[in-house]
Amino acid sequence: MLRIKYVFVICVVGFLAAFVWLSTVHGRSAAYKDNIYPVGKLKPRDSVPKLKVGERAPEFTLAAMGGGEISLKQYRGKKNVVISFVPAAWTPVCSDQWPGYNIAKNYFDQNDAILLGITVDNIPTLYAWTNQMCMGGGTLWFPVLSDFYPHGAVADKYGVLRSDGVSERALFVIDKKGIIRYIDVHDINTRPRLEVLVGELEKLGK
Amino acid sequence: MNELYRAIQESKDLRDKIKVIGIGAGNSPFEVDFFQKNYEVPFPLFSDQDLSIHKVIGEVRTPYFFGVKINDDGSNEVFYSKLGGFKDANEFLKLMVKLSGI
Repeated sequence: MLRIKYVFVICVVGFLAAFVWLSTVHGRSAAYKDNIYPVGKLKPRDSVPKLKVGERAPEFTLAAMGGGEISLKQYRGKKNVVISFVPAAWTPVCSDQWPGYNIAKNYFDQNDAILLGITVDNIPTLYAWTNQMCMGGGTLWFPVLSDFYPHGAVADKYGVLRSDGVSERALFVIDKKGIIRYIDVHDINTRPRLEVLVGELEKLGK
Repeated sequence: MNELYRAIQESKDLRDKIKVIGIGAGNSPFEVDFFQKNYEVPFPLFSDQDLSIHKVIGEVRTPYFFGVKINDDGSNEVFYSKLGGFKDANEFLKLMVKLSGI
């Protein structure tokens, strides 16, 4: 028998899945078990841009999970705002993207920014989905907003409503004056890198 | 995982025999670095941004654990391959020692 030189214990993790071990691009966390609907490879982008960097961000008011409503204007003069549109609950990628932001709160705090997560789902669906997202404990620190009715109206205003009724995977960074400073309508099949967003947030203070 | 690493380091018998590493499937080096600092992870973590490692090991869900024996002649053998975390680091370590025959 061969003599053993070493034993390696290798932990494969994805950025921030519910076990608080890193996660990934395809709803890879075991925390979701079989609850992520396999959408397959989608057309990377399926909408026509309506907004440009330097323009004023369209106002909106949406129902927040957990009760009440949130308006963009309530942050005017107070906080930079990052809007994260994700296509839909229970789909790949989104189910990893928000848990990532959830542990990256410091980067938002350091840059005086709030994150608003928006999907076209209704509140009960968002409730069930985010509960499963956080089954390792804790809650999301940022508001999750429902753009359900009139369906996708805010996503449409921002030019990120796809032809099948879900939104693009898009990030908008809006400064305290309400001006759009960064837009990333991302390939819907992949997760935006944290460092790109952090870089954009750091530019706001300069 | 941090507890597991510490249990190994505190054991004279095991510290030179068992190494622990982590792989961030789909994570950029920035994300892995952030994760490492945020959770004070004392063992090496590696980025697998393009998922090339993840593909080779069978696109597993996470967290996923492998135990791999490295033999003196350079050959290796997977003695443990399982999805899911563990609750008790000491029990997991005992299992690794038992299964590897170290």
